[in-house]
Amino acid sequence: MMNLLKKTVRFLRSMKCAVLLLIILVLACTAGSLIPQGEILSYYTANYPETAAGLIMFLGLDDVFHCVWFVILTLFLCLNLLLCNVMHFPRLIGQMKSGFAPEKCVRGGGTVYLVRETEPVFAGMGFHRVQETVSDGKTLRYARRNSAGIWGAWLCHLGMLVIIAGFGLGQLLQTEYAVYGVAGQTKQIGGTGYELTIDDFQILLREDDTVEQYQADITVTETGTKKTASAVTRVNAPASLFGMKFYQNSTGWAAGVSVWKGEEKIQEELLCAGEYLKTEGKEELILMLRSFYPDYIQDEAGNPATATSSLKNPAYLYALYYNDDVLGMNVLHDGEKITVDDYTYVFHDPKPYTLIQVKKDPFQWLAAFGGLLVVAALILAFYVRPEEMWAVRTESGVWAVSGRCRKAGAMFEEKLAERCIKAGGTLKPEEISGEKRADQCAEMEERKKDEQ
Amino acid sequence: MNSEWYLNIENILFTAAMLLYLGAMVLYFLFLVMKRELFARVAGWVIGAGFLFHTGAMVVRGIGAGRLPLTNQYEFATSFAWGICLCFLVFLWKYRFQALGAFVTPVIFLLIGYAAMQSREVRELMPALRSNWLAIHVSTAIISYGAFGVSFAVSLMFLLRRRMQGNSFWEEHIPQEQKLDLISYRAASLGFLFLTFVIVTGAIWAERAWGSYWAWDPKETWSLITWIIYAIYLHLRLSRGWKGKAAAVFAVAGFICVIFTYIGVNTFIPSVHSYA
Repeated sequence: MMNLLKKTVRFLRSMKCAVLLLIILVLACTAGSLIPQGEILSYYTANYPETAAGLIMFLGLDDVFHCVWFVILTLFLCLNLLLCNVMHFPRLIGQMKSGFAPEKCVRGGGTVYLVRETEPVFAGMGFHRVQETVSDGKTLRYARRNSAGIWGAWLCHLGMLVIIAGFGLGQLLQTEYAVYGVAGQTKQIGGTGYELTIDDFQILLREDDTVEQYQADITVTETGTKKTASAVTRVNAPASLFGMKFYQNSTGWAAGVSVWKGEEKIQEELLCAGEYLKTEGKEELILMLRSFYPDYIQDEAGNPATATSSLKNPAYLYALYYNDDVLGMNVLHDGEKITVDDYTYVFHDPKPYTLIQVKKDPFQWLAAFGGLLVVAALILAFYVRPEEMWAVRTESGVWAVSGRCRKAGAMFEEKLAERCIKAGGTLKPEEISGEKRADQCAEMEERKKDEQ
Repeated sequence: MNSEWYLNIENILFTAAMLLYLGAMVLYFLFLVMKRELFARVAGWVIGAGFLFHTGAMVVRGIGAGRLPLTNQYEFATSFAWGICLCFLVFLWKYRFQALGAFVTPVIFLLIGYAAMQSREVRELMPALRSNWLAIHVSTAIISYGAFGVSFAVSLMFLLRRRMQGNSFWEEHIPQEQKLDLISYRAASLGFLFLTFVIVTGAIWAERAWGSYWAWDPKETWSLITWIIYAIYLHLRLSRGWKGKAAAVFAVAGFICVIFTYIGVNTFIPSVHSYA
């Protein structure tokens, strides 16, 4: 039993497990981006073969990013990152604490070069603080740099964990509301105990009639204390009031609608496009403002459209229902009426409405911190390369120089060879064995000649 | 000088750049076929000249539009090709092996060709794009995609070098597998760092513009997919059994994802990132 547990933990913390989880995550994300999300069963049966539609619903591929197996997959990834970090932490601490270990270095080095002076080689390689010691009667010089680089991958894993934690907690605990209305309206912000007043809403247009900015002046009132605060919210510049953020999310058109019964006006309401009103006293009679066209035209196919966003030729596309039956649908211009029995409906005073998104995510900072941590960690991992160099004084008085860089060994060796040649060095005789070494030696001789 | 004037100058510079890239591609091809180093050396100068004209075209467009030319499909495609060319020239200068050009120039030419097919009309920015984050987000994406393009070319060379073992020309002009692997890694790690930066800055901007820093929009999701594929590549390079060929295959797959994230998502999947 213990054996099985150990094996499981070993697998869960392994790179093999990480790669496997990442591949599944790629497949899940691909499915989530290619299959339209959040549709109903009839959509999938209409657009996919029956078996595929059934599979989509069974596997939860209609809502990949919120389904249980995706959450479990993410949790396994977190576990893998966590175990990997826990496993590597003592080793990294040990590496940071460990000082100069001559025997280990001399044994584990790469190519060895013989030079008379070590200073130009150490300096040329970027090592400026060189330590000297005596071990087994031999004088050794040693330097290392960029030790912090060993923490790159570890911090990157930590950053990923922080991002996932921030995002997950945010999804669970954030509150989000949508408030829409026209200038002058006041509405409750969900169940927050705050009210939002839209003081003004403007669509700023350029000369060519394109939209430059959407801008809403808002006032938020705490209903209990009547404390108020005002701000302007624009696209790309949300307002922050009472710990909530107010985003200028979208806009549309609204229009007033008057309902008359005979000669008596019985109702006056404001309808945003897409909204409907039930007729007072005859609730089965429903009027819906389906769409609004500020500068009405018909497109090539004869469908209603708007030429510009200016109120030059306003038109209202309405639908009238009696219970669930459509009594009529048409386009009305300003001043035109709809009459059904005793009831008359008139649209008037079109104006743009704004939709303000109100959001409070207490863990957004955590995700942002995680993101910055990952960026910093990657800089550490890729560009702060831990390097070590050492030199042992031989009996003949010359120095045997070598070094290593775990992240870019080949480049480090190349640079070391160059610096040693510049300092008049040669390869250590023992190194000149085998075809490759002989090639290297010949290359060095050639370079030396070139320089001379 | 009106916008028409700027557009004309841009067209001349852009066309010159495209022709020079085509010339460089042909010269690199001749270098591989005729096995004469002179072709590669000339190609290096030709692509350098192409890069200058390309930079000029982008600068002129930027001046004419009064903003950074990084907002629609044409502008990003041309910037993407420019980014790959920039990264290629940096890697060429740093590692000094000309054969890399033979694998990078076709990618540059295809991208600039794709840009040439897009509308070059200069449009005013919609409110969501009127942000300082645009410059940071898109310019880091250009560097990232450019570096991935170089990594893709080097990985292709890695995979081909194995097949060309024994060919003295290849042995002489293409670095050894270990070095190719390292150069591909360097390019991919640069791209990965910048892609991370792109995702982080994109999240910050999305939060300000759309009220949500991550909404699983297809563009976001495919950026994440690309990020994960390169993360797998970076992990595979660390494990012995998978180092080399498998890692190179992932670097190639990663770049295919980059191309899909840029062109495929905008073309085939509805997204809030579809600006043009």
